[in-house]
Amino acid sequence: MLILNRYSWWLGAMVGLAILLGIAGQVGVLTPVQGVFLRVTSPFEALLTGIFRPVAGVLSSAGEIDDLRAENARLRVENEGLRNELAQRQQDAQRIRELEAALGLAEGDTSQSRLAANVVHRDSSPFTDVITIDRGSNDGVVKGMVVTSTQGSLMGTVTRVTPTRSFVRLITDTRSNVRAAVLGGEGADGILRGNPGRTLTLDLAQGDIKVGDTIITAGLGGAFPYGIPIGTVTSVEGSSQDLFPKVTVEPMTRLGTATTVLVLMSFVPETLDTGTGP
Amino acid sequence: MKGLAQLGAVFLAAIAQVTVAPLFPIAGANPQLVLLMLCLVAAFSGPVPAMVLTPVGAVMLGMLSDRDAGLLLLAYLPVVALGALLEDAPVPLSHAAKTYSMTLGAGLVARSVLAAGAMLGGAPAAIGALVSDVLVPGVFIDMVLLTLCYVPLRLAGLRGSGFRLQRGRYFASL
Repeated sequence: MLILNRYSWWLGAMVGLAILLGIAGQVGVLTPVQGVFLRVTSPFEALLTGIFRPVAGVLSSAGEIDDLRAENARLRVENEGLRNELAQRQQDAQRIRELEAALGLAEGDTSQSRLAANVVHRDSSPFTDVITIDRGSNDGVVKGMVVTSTQGSLMGTVTRVTPTRSFVRLITDTRSNVRAAVLGGEGADGILRGNPGRTLTLDLAQGDIKVGDTIITAGLGGAFPYGIPIGTVTSVEGSSQDLFPKVTVEPMTRLGTATTVLVLMSFVPETLDTGTGP
Repeated sequence: MKGLAQLGAVFLAAIAQVTVAPLFPIAGANPQLVLLMLCLVAAFSGPVPAMVLTPVGAVMLGMLSDRDAGLLLLAYLPVVALGALLEDAPVPLSHAAKTYSMTLGAGLVARSVLAAGAMLGGAPAAIGALVSDVLVPGVFIDMVLLTLCYVPLRLAGLRGSGFRLQRGRYFASL
């Protein structure tokens, strides 16, 4: 331990600096510097991503070829079912329009303003899942905004914004909490949490929940609008006597490989506390 | 000039940590490239450059990943201290053994500190997942990458540096 005495001044200074940096990060003093730094680093990021992403894609495809084949077969069947469902929905929509016209009902504004953004960074570990997108306060992004995949599935919320970049905490981050519900389930709702290993569980969920059920945002608490698809129930563990079964949910979108996301600009979150959102 | 090269290397490591590392996960874990670079700097240039670059690397990565730079700094602190302890180990160790031991220990401590920070921030205290999903695969990746860097550098003729902080280096100019 004697040898460490020579480092004591440095260790003390670094611990002090760490505390200062922690406080500065919480207060947001470093945010302007962070914005400049991210702008400076963007060409280097683009270069490294451009080189390594194709390599990773090839390696990933080679390693998962059997899984991809199985998934492809499953998706073909699913696609056929969805096409049939879509055709039915189109017929229903047409029928509704005709009925609305007959009743003289005004059509409500259901448009959602979305901003497309590219994923430029990813900070991923079993406990952390944060992405950085190339849109920031200059584009109108504010903290708390909801981010979805290009297909509209929930990915996370914006936790910090710089002029040109925003950080998005994904739903698989272990600090993520989303009030979620079962689509069509009466009163079956709970809190969707990220777990180490990037899995999702629906905690405190009551009601009749089955494998294959679709999980959507419940719209409670004001952090998310109602009805954004999140994932599908893959397992429900526990007997009927259990108050809260263990519900595992698989995200609808592949969070790890998304390169483009959509920021929901038209939804203003009521709760901006990062502790309650993803 | 050497200092600038080291700074550039840490800068690139920080960028690669958020751009390249997530593309190549092993068992869900990623390498700690900044930590690895600090270990290499300590191994080939001694503790002083590592002491300077430790906070620099932590702040750079903190800004890039929106992690708490203070927590990252605490996570990276053991690099220099472990090197010094290994230098005075009761059993004489080769430079390679000291470098590998330092990287192994620093990797374990850094990941544990970062996971503890996540747990304090609301993540579940999953100790089993910490060991199986973070520490074991993470340290394995670190060792592989260290070998890929250390062996070619030694073969290229780069001499390993001592890990002990020399008093003379500070007081000679006074």
